[in-house]
Amino acid sequence: MSDTLSSADAHSTDPAPQSSEGRRVSGVSIRLDGVTKRYPGQDRPAVDAVSLEIPAGETVMFVGPSGCGKTTLLKMLNRLIEPSSGTIHLGDEDVTKQDPDQLRRRIGYVIQAGGLFPHMTVGTNVGMVPRMLGWDKERVTARIDELLDLVGLDPEVYRDRYPKELSGGQQQRVGVARALAADPPVLLMDEPFGAVDPITRQRLQDELLRIQEELGKTIVFVTHDFDEAVKLGDRIVVFDVGARVVQYDTPEAILAEPAEEYVADFIGAGATLKQLTLTRVNSLELKPVTSASVGDDAAEALARARAAGDEYIVVLDRRGRPISWPTTAEVSRMQQIPATVDEKLPVVGLGSTLNDALDTMLAASQGGAVVIGRRDSLAGVVSIETIMDAIQRTRSEVAG
Amino acid sequence: MWDYVLDRRGQIAFQAFQHVSLVVQCVLLGSLIALALAVLVYRSPRLTGLANGVSAIGLTIPAFALLGILLAPFGFGITPAVIAVTFYAALPVLRNAVVGLAGVDRSLIESARGMGMSRLSTLARIEIPLAWPVILAGVRVSTQMVMGIAAIAAYVLGPGLGGFIFTGLSRLGGANALNSALTGTIAIVVLALVLDLLLLLLGRLTTPRGIRV
Amino acid sequence: MTAATGRPDTGERPDPLRRPEAEQSASRDRRDAASPVRARGGWRALVLQPVLVALGLLAYVVWRSTTTLSDTEARQLGAATLWDSVLRHLQLTVVAAVIVLLIAIPLGIALTRPALRRFTPLVIGLANVGQAAPAIGLFVLLADWLGFGFGTTIVALVVYSALPVLRNTMVGLQGVDARLVEAGRGMGMSGAAVLFRVELPLAVPVMLSGVRTALVLLVGTATLATFIAGGGLGVLINTGITLSLNSLLVSGAVLVALLALAIDWLGRVVEHVARPKGL
Repeated sequence: MSDTLSSADAHSTDPAPQSSEGRRVSGVSIRLDGVTKRYPGQDRPAVDAVSLEIPAGETVMFVGPSGCGKTTLLKMLNRLIEPSSGTIHLGDEDVTKQDPDQLRRRIGYVIQAGGLFPHMTVGTNVGMVPRMLGWDKERVTARIDELLDLVGLDPEVYRDRYPKELSGGQQQRVGVARALAADPPVLLMDEPFGAVDPITRQRLQDELLRIQEELGKTIVFVTHDFDEAVKLGDRIVVFDVGARVVQYDTPEAILAEPAEEYVADFIGAGATLKQLTLTRVNSLELKPVTSASVGDDAAEALARARAAGDEYIVVLDRRGRPISWPTTAEVSRMQQIPATVDEKLPVVGLGSTLNDALDTMLAASQGGAVVIGRRDSLAGVVSIETIMDAIQRTRSEVAG
Repeated sequence: MWDYVLDRRGQIAFQAFQHVSLVVQCVLLGSLIALALAVLVYRSPRLTGLANGVSAIGLTIPAFALLGILLAPFGFGITPAVIAVTFYAALPVLRNAVVGLAGVDRSLIESARGMGMSRLSTLARIEIPLAWPVILAGVRVSTQMVMGIAAIAAYVLGPGLGGFIFTGLSRLGGANALNSALTGTIAIVVLALVLDLLLLLLGRLTTPRGIRV
Repeated sequence: MTAATGRPDTGERPDPLRRPEAEQSASRDRRDAASPVRARGGWRALVLQPVLVALGLLAYVVWRSTTTLSDTEARQLGAATLWDSVLRHLQLTVVAAVIVLLIAIPLGIALTRPALRRFTPLVIGLANVGQAAPAIGLFVLLADWLGFGFGTTIVALVVYSALPVLRNTMVGLQGVDARLVEAGRGMGMSGAAVLFRVELPLAVPVMLSGVRTALVLLVGTATLATFIAGGGLGVLINTGITLSLNSLLVSGAVLVALLALAIDWLGRVVEHVARPKGL
């Protein structure tokens, strides 16, 4: 069994405040009081007197139909749109009167496709805010590498590439890295994963859960996808037109007891099935598995696998990320553990939902999947049987 | 100014007619030549590159220079004017026609061929109609441009409103010089805009409804 | 703030490249052969063009040194006189171009700022009407107003060639994805920082192609300077026509054409080199 979640955190040497659940929190709370936006020539305000308290270190999802004002509300938080009235506090600070540019440098902002500047390299994009804040060169460079590493991109490979040389998912990761560059306490995300394919979206979601686990930012995330909201959110705000807050609660509570007909309609059919998205891989019992690093002696790894009774050996690259899982039979024909990357290797994160995990296995035609934790390191494996059992259990609980 | 125009309304109308007639005929001729050339070249990337090069380079040659060069073999009169105006009229159409034809979705052509349409009818019924808005945009650019070039052609004794401008030039400082130049210039601007509007209208009428934007 | 202006939160952002006025004006450029698309694939064209110019020049030199000329012709076509004409032509072109850049680029930037954006259709409309005016008419009218000479010529050239630069500056800036502007503002860049670090670099290809268009237009239009005593290579053509001296006429015409091609080529090279990486 290889190393699982390491407690080392490269981000800050300060002792982090802990939330009640014992999670690390580096975010601040956000308080909205009667925030309103009126556009000239429209009789109804786009956002009508919204008051909301977002606790520090939580991920709060804004959901609602398009045109309901959720994006407008989000953009008022970093004052890309100026509120017509009302106040916004970050922590204890009233930010409605602050210089907007200074304010925005302390708030991460992620939009669809990352909004990367195409004429700048990945590194330059990520280093943008630290440079504006006047960090010295070495510190910026170090920070760029640290962040690319955080979002699972090898700095050596990607630092000097241009955005067009990256896939959609990679661009989005860089977008997240850029938003986190100056270690802002708050992250605003405006439908960030709307433009990528479902598999990539799921990976990006897992990644975000993992990063959030590590950093504990206050995240406000706009989406129109209720499943995404259930998966990512500590809490969900369901909006109606004029950004009227219809319900603000945990995903479990909203699914169990929709406040109004409107919410029930919005959740749509299959609410009970959606409960499945509440159960995560980290709630399952993971099987430990023999791992070996690229270049290790094959015979030695084989001996360990046989001793542990494993049929597979998970191969890790030099950064400890799983890249393939040959069978013991295959390994017995090898001299050394090869560096071949298995593109179809089914990988799920600890934060993945059971649905995601099942999808991943089916897409790879495999009876199990490798589970990764912090920094893409190996956490174990999960088999399809374990997942089916868990699903059965959840269903009977929901039904009962 | 007004008296000047009234006094010479016959002459102005005649020259305006001559100017428009020269431009319209040359644009028509130039467009046909350009379309034919485009049809010949658009399939081969090499020839397409050549055609683009020719139209780009052709457009860099100053009109006054070309008119001068044409004077050497043809002498004064309508011939150098027609050749020069047609030449400049053809180039933007050539460029746009090549771009437009090359831009037609390959799969549409394949499905047309697949349902048994001949090369020629695919061209006439699928490709040219789809490329039509782009081609027509080229014709509009051409028309605007050669309205001005036709004015210079008056210097080599071509017909048209340029005559008023050159008369104004030769009498500069004298009576009616300004009136003459203004008449020529404004008439050309107005006619250019009218022609452009007509072409726009033609575009509305001839663009298949399904691809109108 | 661009994306924030209009209506609230529909989730749909209009594609700035598809704005009708941008499309319209781009297609109306007379010599915008130019679209950056062409410049990209064209290494071969970039090599071919100077070769063509060089061959043309060589042919001219060979012709010039093998033909016997009359006294008048020889005087007009002496190396020194010829060189002076070329320099004068270049002077007209460059001075006018510099003034055009100084006026049109800031104006173009100003007209794409939110505060002034509502004047854009007006300016573009006026400019398009102006573009329909024949160059020669403009020269004569300005000469009537300001007199003959270098100054008037420059004014006429500036008026006539400002449009492509102005329009391409605006089209280029409008073509920048509004989401990138918002991303820039969203990460705390000031309006000026977004303009200089995001919008202008991304608009450079389109702007440069406008500059090249203007330069070529200038070389061509400067031939008309001869009519209002502005000098340049047009003088050769004009003298050739009035005196029926084909050698003068052809010399002027050929040299102007070669000059235009050479400048066009230079412009293409600059476009190729200055294109921001990553696009």
